[in-house]
Amino acid sequence: MNAIEFILSGMLAAATPFLLAALGELVVERAGVLNLGVEGLMALGAVLAFIVVYHGGGHFFGFVIAGLGGAALSLVFAIVALGFRANQVATGLAIGIFGQGLSALFGKTYESLTVKALPKLAFPWLSELPVVGGLFNQDIVVWISLLATFGMWAMFTYTKLGLVVRAVGENPKAAHAIGYPVISVRVIAIAFGGAMAGFAGAYAAVIYTPLWADGMIAGRGWIAIALVVFGTWLTGRIFLGACLFGAVSLMGLAAQATGMDVPSQLLSSLPYLVTIVVLGIISANRRLLKLNGVASLGEPFER
Amino acid sequence: MNNLTRRNLIKAAAATGLAGALGSRLAFAADEPLGITLIVPSPIGDVGWGHALAAGLDPIKAAYGDKVKVTILENIAEGPDADRIMTKTVADGNKFLIAGSFGYQNGALQIARRDPSVTVLHASGFQVAPNFSPFAAKYFQGSYLLGMAAAALSKTGKLGSVSAFAIPELITTINAFTLGAQAVKPDIEVSVVWVNSWFDPAKEQEAAKALIAQKCDVIFSNAQDTPSVIAACEEAGVYSFNLNSSMKKYAPKTYLGCISTDWSPFFKASVDAHLAGTFKGANTFLGVAEKVVEVIDWSPDVPADVMAQIKGIEAKIADGSFSPFTGPISKADGSEGLAAGTTMPDAEIVALDWHVKGVTTPLPK
Repeated sequence: MNAIEFILSGMLAAATPFLLAALGELVVERAGVLNLGVEGLMALGAVLAFIVVYHGGGHFFGFVIAGLGGAALSLVFAIVALGFRANQVATGLAIGIFGQGLSALFGKTYESLTVKALPKLAFPWLSELPVVGGLFNQDIVVWISLLATFGMWAMFTYTKLGLVVRAVGENPKAAHAIGYPVISVRVIAIAFGGAMAGFAGAYAAVIYTPLWADGMIAGRGWIAIALVVFGTWLTGRIFLGACLFGAVSLMGLAAQATGMDVPSQLLSSLPYLVTIVVLGIISANRRLLKLNGVASLGEPFER
Repeated sequence: MNNLTRRNLIKAAAATGLAGALGSRLAFAADEPLGITLIVPSPIGDVGWGHALAAGLDPIKAAYGDKVKVTILENIAEGPDADRIMTKTVADGNKFLIAGSFGYQNGALQIARRDPSVTVLHASGFQVAPNFSPFAAKYFQGSYLLGMAAAALSKTGKLGSVSAFAIPELITTINAFTLGAQAVKPDIEVSVVWVNSWFDPAKEQEAAKALIAQKCDVIFSNAQDTPSVIAACEEAGVYSFNLNSSMKKYAPKTYLGCISTDWSPFFKASVDAHLAGTFKGANTFLGVAEKVVEVIDWSPDVPADVMAQIKGIEAKIADGSFSPFTGPISKADGSEGLAAGTTMPDAEIVALDWHVKGVTTPLPK
């Protein structure tokens, strides 16, 4: 396996935690709510999934519990931010820190333990292609997240549900006036975002790096939030950004392993630089940015 | 550099034992127990650096019982918050502080200067004060031995190391690993991936997989506190080894061994000296000879003749007749690192900023 094959085969799996969390945050922000607690929601999902899988509950059940846990914690955010109309930035940060603390508490006795990851499912024929074959040999969650990405794009593009979510985010007063339950839509969006962040954490802790260690999310939740913004709230660009981030971070490691004379500090910062630059260039069109930006993002809604 | 030899340790232990029996026991009998605080940057699990430090305190608890009170503060990020927490624990009456990471240096040193009645042991630093001792392990002695085993087991002739930060301590262990491997197979190569993080299990596993993709078939997990690298290697079927505490249970098939550290003799001697009032700050660099560094859980796959060779070298390191850093050694760029027949002094070993020939990854500048 050469460096290119290594990057291609690992890219999608590396992108999956970012992708899942960013898709969830996309729905939340599209509905006009800024939830900065993704890092903590991921940490909680990670530890819950790990505990379930460690005790033999299986990966599917682990993901279910992680999703429920993430949704439950994000509903606390919903109560404070929507119910009491607290500042969303402060509330999101607090929930994020709370989630990390909670995960450390639950995970105390599981520190440094490991579980078995899921086997990879190969596409027949495609996975035997030279060089690109590795792309078609992934675990089931990667395939499901690709489907989820497509589904998310289709929902925002073609369905009434997508339009309702967008209307609630763009102009909650107007949405309210024509009879849509703004608060309910936002609560459901927040719960969905929390569940997706929980799945993302679960993927990180029981499939991608099948072990639990306090702090193992290591800033991935923040990158997911950044991807939503740099991807200008468009599903396709978020997917592109996540893949780019995954590929470039693997590239940095592969470059070192092959002995290329590039400073490792530069390689470590490259994923951030490349993702910001590429998405920045794509989003350079001011008119498009204005068109895609969420008008009422972070503003509490009052009737 | 002042090396703490075994003889000195025994002398110190004996002296303080006597003093303890006669002086301090009497003097301290009615006093408060001695508060000992250990502060570490990562969570303490069943394995790893923090675990090894914490385990080093167990014999002290056993020996002194309720005459000592041990507090362990884990997962404390290096920086202003750590300074605050260390100041607080000393203000609470804990007079014996073990600062378990390089980044605690300045804060811990300030505490030691402010209050002469406090004794501070600081991991892997270079500052010394009358009541402040930096300490480090000669991991490189163990990584030399594992390099010999790795070379004997490697089929591809390529070894790898997932390493945290390009600091002298880690560069030294990689160099000794390479030299040990070359002692068995002169043309062997070592690739290094610097993850630039003390703690990011996902990135560490990616790094291990990147090395395996480059056909490295023995991987050195250099300063990772979780079994991230070890578990990825077991899954890929390549040999791996690590520092501090054994991770054999995470890789029952392909675990090559562990360069374990047992800090208890050093901690015990320091606590004894503190209680006797004879503590003197010194730079302590402890290895195989002091029984602080030891390779444990050797893989049964290492061929018997190589194992005999390794044991021979280990004995020579222990009695001081052999050092892994014995010339001639060339640097990775081809220039001379160490002249033939000379042995590198400890002061140079702890400040190494170049790789030996055979390490193919250029060092970040």
